[in-house]
Amino acid sequence: MSEVLLVDSVLLFLVTVCAVAIIEVRSLYAVAMLSSVYSLLMALVWTNMHSMDVAFTEAAVGGGISTILLIGTLVHTRRDEKPAKRRLHLPALLVTILTGAALIYGTFDMPRFGDPNATIHHYRVPEMMSQTVAAVSGREGKQQPPEGYEAPPRMTPTAAEWAGAIHAIDEAEDTLRAAQHGAPGLVDGEHHEGAAEEHHEGAHKHPVDDFNGHVPNSVTSLLAAYRGFDTMFETTVIFTAGMALIMLLRRRREEGEDDFSQRGATLSGQVILRVMTKMFIPFILVFGFYVITHGEIGPGGGFQGGVILATAFILYALLYGRNALYRIIRPRTLEVLAACGVLLYAGVGVACMLLGGNFLDYAALNAASPGDGEAMGMTLVEYGVGITVCTVMIIIFNQLAEEPSNPSRRRAGAKAS
Amino acid sequence: MPWTEIVTAVLLAIGVLFSLTGSLGLLRFPDFYSRLHAAGKTDSLAQALILGGLLFVSPDWGVSVRLVIIAVLLLFTAPTATHAITKAARLDGLAPWTRLNPREESKEDAKP
Repeated sequence: MSEVLLVDSVLLFLVTVCAVAIIEVRSLYAVAMLSSVYSLLMALVWTNMHSMDVAFTEAAVGGGISTILLIGTLVHTRRDEKPAKRRLHLPALLVTILTGAALIYGTFDMPRFGDPNATIHHYRVPEMMSQTVAAVSGREGKQQPPEGYEAPPRMTPTAAEWAGAIHAIDEAEDTLRAAQHGAPGLVDGEHHEGAAEEHHEGAHKHPVDDFNGHVPNSVTSLLAAYRGFDTMFETTVIFTAGMALIMLLRRRREEGEDDFSQRGATLSGQVILRVMTKMFIPFILVFGFYVITHGEIGPGGGFQGGVILATAFILYALLYGRNALYRIIRPRTLEVLAACGVLLYAGVGVACMLLGGNFLDYAALNAASPGDGEAMGMTLVEYGVGITVCTVMIIIFNQLAEEPSNPSRRRAGAKAS
Repeated sequence: MPWTEIVTAVLLAIGVLFSLTGSLGLLRFPDFYSRLHAAGKTDSLAQALILGGLLFVSPDWGVSVRLVIIAVLLLFTAPTATHAITKAARLDGLAPWTRLNPREESKEDAKP
């Protein structure tokens, strides 16, 4: 049994225990904590699988901000779950077992972890991994692959008949692109063959991290370019969630609502907490911006960075009260900024179109150096995502943490808890 | 085995041992405050030892600097978190366990 498998087994066992505990425990406060533990354990599982971006997101979003938001929700609900009637519901059990069996059956068709014959290693993705987006269009990238870099195999020997077909498609695409952009197409024959043997040797190992091309983090380039539409609409979903929460939870604007000069109940009398918070908020902000900006080079990106930025503001609001936060950044500003993030993302796409490319074809942003254009486009897009995620998280926290203003509701809430 | 790996192994072992005693204290101590004492104290030291041990096998300066930053960050934040939790419990009126007043444990256990 390999060490990786051993660690994975222990972690997944703990994850299962956590999941069962979340279902069983009645105290909702404990459930919020357990779900945080669950996310951190999953982050470790992802780390073990070498998917750093996913692990980072899981830790920041699942372990961090979700816990804060879940605890914020407890303001509006009871502290404990209603005791349920313990009776075996046969149809539900049947449906669950059937769904579980179907899912397990489905996994038999999935390639084994790290299998070099998996479809994802054959078609399209190797191109993305070796960053030949610009190269295929006959334009040079910003950086060259490092010395001794072996391109991932395009085809396995067993799928040799695929090779010809896809090679033909590629060549047709190259010619088409070359015709479109008036530049000579780059046909890299040796890129397509070879390197298969070495890869087979390392088949059971984790794939090597791929740091080549002009956007070195292939995950970011996959998210922002290959799945650019997908990521854009994910951002839109977050934006919509924030707006929906405002519509559902915001109390009517009252007299003096926009007066944030009152201090309200704060924790600022706690000297140690105040000093530590003041000390760390600048670092949290710098780290958030680093994660957003650095997303194209290392693990990270708009989602994680936005969440980290939001925690700085939430920490401030927790310590000094929400009015102090609103004195820094008005609720109206937050809402406008949330919209601006999505607009920035879509705007980059439109700018690409105006400059003669396709929607979100970042290479068009800088005709002289398409690689730089892609890096710039992706950074801008990540900032769009980051701004939206950050502001929406602050909005959600503020809406959730808001005391029910109606006295009767407050009394009802007090009675319930 | 180079000496760096031996140092790493020793530091990791001590760190894990402290971590284990902390977990044991968390389970065995009689009330909220002493449990937090066990968890908070040993964890600050355990993480410093583990990260310090990893420092000796870090491949380059970038990783070393990051390890030091993480250790310093945790040395600041972990005690602050412990302090915040303890203070919250104290302000909430949770009395510490004493031999004369051992009933506090059951009260504490009833709390979520």
